[in-house]
Amino acid sequence: MITDSTFLLYAAGSLIGLLAGFLMHRSDYCVAGMFRDTFLFRNTFMLRSLCIQVTATIIFFEFSRIFGLLPLYPFPLLGFASAANTIGGFIFGIGMVMAGGCVVGTLYKMGAGSVISIVAFIGIIAGSALYGEIHPWWASFVKATTFFPSVKTLPELFGINPALLLLPLAAIATIILLKLHKQNKIIRQSEVKGYIQPWKTAIALALLGLFSYILVGMPLGITTTYAKIAAMLETLFIPEHISNTSFFQLIPFHITHPSTGALLQGGPGPQIDSIWVIQFPIIAGIVLGSALSAILLGEFSIQYKVPLKQIFMALSGGILLGLSSRMSPGCNVWHLMGGLPILALQSLLFLLGLIPGTWVGSKVITHIILKQPMRPTGKS
Amino acid sequence: MNDLETQKIINIDMRGQVCPACLLVAMDTLNRHKEALKNGSETLSIKTDNREATTTIPITAKNMGYSVTVTKIGSFYQICIGFFTPENKK
Repeated sequence: MITDSTFLLYAAGSLIGLLAGFLMHRSDYCVAGMFRDTFLFRNTFMLRSLCIQVTATIIFFEFSRIFGLLPLYPFPLLGFASAANTIGGFIFGIGMVMAGGCVVGTLYKMGAGSVISIVAFIGIIAGSALYGEIHPWWASFVKATTFFPSVKTLPELFGINPALLLLPLAAIATIILLKLHKQNKIIRQSEVKGYIQPWKTAIALALLGLFSYILVGMPLGITTTYAKIAAMLETLFIPEHISNTSFFQLIPFHITHPSTGALLQGGPGPQIDSIWVIQFPIIAGIVLGSALSAILLGEFSIQYKVPLKQIFMALSGGILLGLSSRMSPGCNVWHLMGGLPILALQSLLFLLGLIPGTWVGSKVITHIILKQPMRPTGKS
Repeated sequence: MNDLETQKIINIDMRGQVCPACLLVAMDTLNRHKEALKNGSETLSIKTDNREATTTIPITAKNMGYSVTVTKIGSFYQICIGFFTPENKK
């Protein structure tokens, strides 16, 4: 089913983005918050939704693979495991907590009018540009620390059929989740207007990921386009610099679909290519979908009066996000909602870094927020 | 005399702030004003546009024994925490 029809890709990407943005706003489906609140408040409610999404994705991907819907398996752009995945994940974890959202959370919060997230978005672009400068050095580090230069997933490493590992794993996870549901830990009351239970959003996002995988040969990913936007902006001012920066010449995405012969290729450079056509509509869709949700609820509002410290924190967090999503490479959505469900080694190592990263981020953010001058203005 | 007319309201406007500033500041304020909130001489009123906070703050405050109300006012939510009626006061 893979396609190189530009119109179809734009249409599908926009639809995926709009739906994802709308649902994430309604459920406040913030991946950064899921990990952060586990550390900060011992609140794992939202993290359970992420577990539902990962479990559903395992089941969707694995059955689609068995029925021959996923001829590209493991999917393109997934590389070999190296220490870079864990280091990138660690920095990403700190960045997403400081930015108040991951690379996707930032988009839906921005759509609802958050100034903090607009600043974080600018930071992500800046961080992606910064990565272009350190790429040659980092690429040699990746090469030097690659663990298994021939296998990409855990089943490949063990030399077994993915189903033997993934289906029992999904079964165990489903049993645990059903048990949690019986203990009333999956659904909660909310007084907020238009609330959608996060488990529904989790399942919907898993379906959107599957839709993306079948249509373009890859699950959802958006961060290469952040680097592309950085390259486009740099081209406006310093075009020679971009053409001399090796990172922006890369074309890591280059696939010819085995059954249809459709050719898709692209990279972080400033050109309009398949990466742009696949990812940009999703980015724009998430912002617009969330804006639509907020407007329909009458909750769209732009608050400028934000403590300056938080603005700087969001900018720094954004820069760390942009930088680390190229160092890993890949973001939390790519790894947790795409790679982890096929037990990609890169994604497992990314998660290994992400968890302590969010812990450090939680410490930093608590310190900064509670140190800011508070204005509890008492009045009788 | 601690009746509704003399209750002091601590107003905090958290609109537009980064997550989870709202919950952190709410918890911090609840701890620092524990005495006055428990004996009913003060109540806490928080303005927020963070949807998640409208669930997490009431859960936290109720666990600490307070009464909580959440009201949507225009584009934001107002969360009131304290002991609102004279009968509730210790």
